[in-house]
Amino acid sequence: KSTASKDSTTEGASKRQEGTAGTPKQKLLEIIGNMKVEVSYRKKLQELKASESKKQAMNRLEGPNGEGPQRTTEDLQRLNPELVKAASAVASSLPLNKKQTESELLAQLRRHEETTDKQRRVGTVNIRNVISEMTVKRQSPAQRGVRISRRISLEFDEDGQRLRPERFSSQSFDSRSLKEGKRLNIFTKASTEPERALETVSSPTIWDLEFAKEIAALTAQPPRNGFEEMIQWTKEGILWEFPIDNEVGMDDDAEFHEHIFLEKHLEGFPKEGPIRHFMELVICGLSKNPYLSVKQKIEHIEWFEKYFEEKKEFLQEI
Amino acid sequence: QDPTAAHYMFQDDPFLMPRNAANSRLYSLSKESGKNAAKYIIKNFPQYFDKTLADPNVPCLMPETFTPQTEGVSEEALKERIHLRRVKESVDLFDQLVQAGTPLSLETTNSLLDLLCFCGDEESTSEKEEESKEDLEEPGVNASEQKAPRRQFQRGLQSSGPRWRENNHAERIFKIMPERNAHSYCTMIRGMVKHGAASKAYDMYIDLLNERHKADVHTFNALIRAVPYLKERFIERWELVKDFLTHMTQQEVQPNLLTFNAILKTLRRCGVVGRSMALLVIKEMEALDIEPSLATYDHLLSIFYRGIDLPRSGIVSEVLDEVEKRSFTPQDPDDANFFSTAMQVCCDLKDVKLAYRLNNAMEVGDNWKFLDVDRLNGYWSKFFSLLCMMEQIEFVLKWYKEMSFSFFYPTPKNILDLLQALDAASQLEVIPSVWDDVKQLGFTRRHEVLEEFLSLMSRDQHPEEIQLAFAKCAEDIRAAHEPAGREQVPLEWTGSALGSVVVLFSRAGRTQDAWNMMEHFQKTNRIPTEKVMDEFLNCAKQTNCPEEAIKLVKLAASLGLPSSQRLKSRTEEEFELSETQK
Repeated sequence: KSTASKDSTTEGASKRQEGTAGTPKQKLLEIIGNMKVEVSYRKKLQELKASESKKQAMNRLEGPNGEGPQRTTEDLQRLNPELVKAASAVASSLPLNKKQTESELLAQLRRHEETTDKQRRVGTVNIRNVISEMTVKRQSPAQRGVRISRRISLEFDEDGQRLRPERFSSQSFDSRSLKEGKRLNIFTKASTEPERALETVSSPTIWDLEFAKEIAALTAQPPRNGFEEMIQWTKEGILWEFPIDNEVGMDDDAEFHEHIFLEKHLEGFPKEGPIRHFMELVICGLSKNPYLSVKQKIEHIEWFEKYFEEKKEFLQEI
Repeated sequence: QDPTAAHYMFQDDPFLMPRNAANSRLYSLSKESGKNAAKYIIKNFPQYFDKTLADPNVPCLMPETFTPQTEGVSEEALKERIHLRRVKESVDLFDQLVQAGTPLSLETTNSLLDLLCFCGDEESTSEKEEESKEDLEEPGVNASEQKAPRRQFQRGLQSSGPRWRENNHAERIFKIMPERNAHSYCTMIRGMVKHGAASKAYDMYIDLLNERHKADVHTFNALIRAVPYLKERFIERWELVKDFLTHMTQQEVQPNLLTFNAILKTLRRCGVVGRSMALLVIKEMEALDIEPSLATYDHLLSIFYRGIDLPRSGIVSEVLDEVEKRSFTPQDPDDANFFSTAMQVCCDLKDVKLAYRLNNAMEVGDNWKFLDVDRLNGYWSKFFSLLCMMEQIEFVLKWYKEMSFSFFYPTPKNILDLLQALDAASQLEVIPSVWDDVKQLGFTRRHEVLEEFLSLMSRDQHPEEIQLAFAKCAEDIRAAHEPAGREQVPLEWTGSALGSVVVLFSRAGRTQDAWNMMEHFQKTNRIPTEKVMDEFLNCAKQTNCPEEAIKLVKLAASLGLPSSQRLKSRTEEEFELSETQK
């Protein structure tokens, strides 16, 4: 807007240049100089206004409404004198109707001011809307709310005008980065208490089991080549594990000598005679038997022992 | 590894290698459903499989014993049935026990509640079990034993499990329980959230608080996930999430990774508020030393890169920095969505460098495992579209040769993008080979694809061989429009398509074919343009067929075209006509 008003007055100045020479240049430079002052003044005012509206938003919600229009008239009063002076200078140097040109220029300037103030007001209105929706209970959430709403209204403002981005751009960059920024401050880091861990559920519930299955299925892809397929089959038990272990699946906890050297079980039998002979043959057969477990072999021998005991009477007769 | 080969699971018979995306899915599903059919037979007819001939025994190939061993009405029997996940039997047995007045331990009742809440009160046969889970990675696990694979397509996206019925068994049992502990409330809340009864879950949570119990972290996670269904406005949703979090600290429950993922998932549906809060949540995670998983990053990207107003690529490149560094293990069911979302972001930002970085990130360690066959296809399809837009034509063609039919199957959009890229690079001579691929993919009946091909081919004049090749394509397209077989409805000719075909035939000097097409104009009530008729006339002149020219003039006259006069005069000038012909 300042550039716009600059343009209009430079236009006016260039129009005049056709008429007169020499002094218009000086007047033009004067006007431009005035403009610079006016722009920096505007920035200062903006900052003042921003900080004040922040404070007001924290304390009251109704505040900015009443004081808004007041400020704009103050603005006009503060800025206009210099512009008015410049405008009157321009008008006086024009050969045409002084009063008319002066009033036209002033009106144009006033229009510029109105539009800028209107848009500035629009910015504050946005903040107010968002704040009013947030129920302000305590001081600090309101403060945070204002900061958040400022960022939100920044988004609205971004395509409209560029009044605030310079101030907040650095903040918004930081807030968009994963590295820096604030945290929620709700949780505190738990000290690693080993007793706490033991307290937890003893056996996993159906929820836990199903969740574990779901997670495992996430990355269970079909095998990409023959090697992966073989790995999967080995895990499932379809393929044997290499190097091949002969005793896989066999849970025989007896050593080989217990299978073969079975004579110690023959202590209950007589040392000579056909029974002994018979039992030695039995032992020979059993030792060659890979299918029975040690326990079964001992049972076999014991059965024979019992049998011969029972038939002892008959045998004595023989 | 040969990048142009199809996936290993298809390497059986070269004839049976899938040619397009639909086929690849069909074949992989059919392979899985074959396995499932075999398992079904083993399970249901175990009496034929009782000889264990293999030594050592292979348990996974043998029928499993699912019948409960304990009989009678006792707590032991109930426990066993719960363990075997037999919902109906457990409920019946429970009712019998209660009626008989047998006291049941709280633990058993709680485990029954667990079963009911997890299964949503429906029978948990293996079929239902698979249906209620999320889309599993191994394709075809969803195939039920009885249905044919084809119907799997139509199943499409089912809701995750049955809905929570009013006053179902779980609620009933909960009410009649003589005593309840925190676990009972928690499992009810989790079940309600899982099956879509969010407000009931919230009420149950209030009950839990009133009874002065403490919830566990899983319950809080479920509640946070349910927040979008409890409140409408963004600010309210966030406030509710914060309430839950404060309760967590009050009840001394430590949040875990899934808590934060649930928060971010809810923030996805909180618009602007989500964007402002998301990074605060990330910093909180960091402060508690919880490592983010891929799902965290997926939610982050969705929060920030949704809609038209995209921020600068700051967040996505930072996320990529993190992801490139390590190999991820699955921790959250939403992890699998990360790569698809990230690739979509790259496409929206039109940034090819980011896409290359993303591909490299996928190669790290086990990260590739997160993409199943369907997601992989979508991922590479988007990548290819991005390439067509932004990369030079040599790279595009190189990737196309390598990737298509092995990594992914081009979609119609991909083909259109490729054609545009070729057009931009003025390499239209590649079109006939692309047309062959299109035939393989089965897109020959898609209007937009055909239109694009025809318009590109017929736009300008080309050297001879290319023109002949184009004419061959045109012939294929014409064949596609003929009624073929009983099932297919023949494609409708459009005016521009007909015109292009005539032009292509004419330029290749195939006058008879061109004339046949011209007759089609009359049949289908369409009007040929001037350009078309001029081309035809040129062709007739070149091949010296004045009868054709006369036929054209007659046709134009019969159609009442304004240019018929001009054509007539042109014919008279350019051809040597005998008296009768005049």
